[in-house]
Amino acid sequence: MVDVGTTLEMVQASQVGLKAVGAGLAVGLTGVGTGLAEMGIGAAAVGATAENRDMFGLALLFTVIPETIVIFGLVVALLLLF
Amino acid sequence: MLRPERMRRLLIVAPKSETDTIVRELYRHNVYHIEDFVPESGSSDGLSIGHPLSGASDAASALIKIRAIESACGIDPENVEVRTRIPASKVRAMIQTDLPAIIEEVEGLVASRSRLEAQQKEHEQRAKELEPFVAVPMDLDLYRGYTRFSVFTGHIAHDVTIDAPHEKYFSDKVDGNMIVVVVPNEHREEVERTLLDAGFQAIPVPDETGAPADRLKAHQEEARRIEGEIAAINGKIAGIRERHADFLVACDELLTADVERAEAPLRFATTEETFLTEGWIPERNFEKVKEALVRATGGKIYLEELEIEHTDAVPVKYDNPSFARPSQMFMDLYSRPQYAELDPTLMVAIVFPIFFGMILGDVGYGAVLLALSLGLRKVLKSEGGRALLKVLSISSISSIIFGVLYSEAFGFALPWEPLFFSRHLNIGGAATGHGPQVVELMIIAIWIGILHITLGRLIGTRNARSLYHGKHATKAMISNLGWLGFMWGLLLLIWAFFPIPMMPDLTGLPVVAMGFNLAAVTGVVLLVAGIIGIAQENPLEVVELPTIISHVLSYARLTAVGLSSVAIAMVVNYISIGMMIEPQLEAITPVGVILIIVGILVFLLGHVLNTALGLLGGGLHSIRLHYVEFFTKFYKGGGKKYNPFGMKLKFTEE
Repeated sequence: MVDVGTTLEMVQASQVGLKAVGAGLAVGLTGVGTGLAEMGIGAAAVGATAENRDMFGLALLFTVIPETIVIFGLVVALLLLF
Repeated sequence: MLRPERMRRLLIVAPKSETDTIVRELYRHNVYHIEDFVPESGSSDGLSIGHPLSGASDAASALIKIRAIESACGIDPENVEVRTRIPASKVRAMIQTDLPAIIEEVEGLVASRSRLEAQQKEHEQRAKELEPFVAVPMDLDLYRGYTRFSVFTGHIAHDVTIDAPHEKYFSDKVDGNMIVVVVPNEHREEVERTLLDAGFQAIPVPDETGAPADRLKAHQEEARRIEGEIAAINGKIAGIRERHADFLVACDELLTADVERAEAPLRFATTEETFLTEGWIPERNFEKVKEALVRATGGKIYLEELEIEHTDAVPVKYDNPSFARPSQMFMDLYSRPQYAELDPTLMVAIVFPIFFGMILGDVGYGAVLLALSLGLRKVLKSEGGRALLKVLSISSISSIIFGVLYSEAFGFALPWEPLFFSRHLNIGGAATGHGPQVVELMIIAIWIGILHITLGRLIGTRNARSLYHGKHATKAMISNLGWLGFMWGLLLLIWAFFPIPMMPDLTGLPVVAMGFNLAAVTGVVLLVAGIIGIAQENPLEVVELPTIISHVLSYARLTAVGLSSVAIAMVVNYISIGMMIEPQLEAITPVGVILIIVGILVFLLGHVLNTALGLLGGGLHSIRLHYVEFFTKFYKGGGKKYNPFGMKLKFTEE
């Protein structure tokens, strides 16, 4: 290994950068997870609402339940960054 | 408040001759919720469903005519502004005198319009069929009438050479090309095969005479002329709408009332000479209605108040102060509360705007949404739309208040330091200050979650007492308290080991046993007691224990969603102003001016988008916190809607 001359500043800078990458991954991956979960629920909810208008409230409720996942991601990202 | 309106159950028995009087009286008061009579099959109590009053079918058929005219004229009673209220007697007189003429006029206009529309279609169709033939300079009569020749006309992919003796015309001036081939009958089949190989699609020759171009023009002109006539008829119909809308909606209302009244006996039980009906009246109107009924019938009526046997059969009428009434829409969207349980509308009405403001705390966006909600009042006139707009205006005011506290307007800082916690992110070159106080805001949100859920569980304990009976009620109450014990036990445990800012620091308490201090021991006791409390109602519920953590943490969205909206606003500002407008302002060049205009567009577009996102995020997340995190702790729902027999007169008066 050749020492490329890592200085303290570079280490600190890469730490900040990796934190940002981590925060991005936290939001992005949880977003994908939420999307996957809402995909099925959303389709079924729209179907149920089309059949019976009164289902709307309950359908909305079911659809937004997985939202929590991405919120957790967002919380983790914010805690990482600040 | 906090409880649906108290109801009383009334049994009315009267001779059939009084039906009309009683129905009229009940309809006028508009408070009696009729319990439909359902005959039991095979029972021998001699009760059967009543017959409609006389005049029901006349009124119904007149009503159908009026509705048809309303829809033909595009009148929607829901959206008609109430200008004057016409007395019922005058409407009745006008139904006899004016209405037939109006009906005739509208029916005539609609009939001629549909006839004209059919004609217009016909001409357009003809014109379309003629189009390909315009490319061939030949009169239409020349295409037919041969005994020894066959004529092929149609689209084709490309020109072809035909071996048999023939005459041919090919044109690529029209879509899909056009070919006309005339061949002697004996070569018909081989030519057809050649043509089909080249992708020939036959088009029938239009049944007309003369030059195709002239005919096409004639048809097109005819279609245009008819269009003008249709427009004239539409203008006439619009004129009728202008002149008679008030009268038509008044007729609609009057006749609807007539029909409802006439058909009411279908919901009553009758014997040979009498009828009986059961229903619900709000407590405050009860005595008044009773007296009015006795007076109207001259005492020829028997009234009895019945016991309420099952509370789930009682219709539910909200009883809320006026500012909370629009929030009832949120309740109906989820499910109407049951009669016996606590009605949380008031809590939703107070907490929802606070959550909304916490998420979208921005003076600018708040002002835009407030203006939007006030402006849309002119457009949205239905009851649900109105309620939604009222909730939106209250929420946007809360958003402005929080914007002042956060010191934010369209992502810019206002000229004062945040009075509450700061949400200013360090985006862009001009970032100053200490950045957002994310951790503090997050803990505030968690605190709100803890308190909101505690409130929910406390209400759950209270509801358990009124919804269930005997042993079940006790069990359900203990289970609710168990959930509370588990949550607070867990919190005590966490506080006993980790000091958390803005939360009680219990790490310093004296150690009692096994390295556990006082708070930790209390926490463990509460935790275990809680689990036992939950398990005694239903052991399976223990599986749900982790939800307590996810539900409390879910309130972190109050901060997280808000911060993401701030971030979008600041990024938009930075891109449009910091990167595009400001550098160009230093030295103005022609390219710079364009860049400035683009920057302004980016600014506007970004903020419009963010307003929409903020509205959606703020509204949806706030209501979700109620539906998922709050209501699941106590709310049952499924109450029957209170639907009084009668009508609120909008366009007519007695």
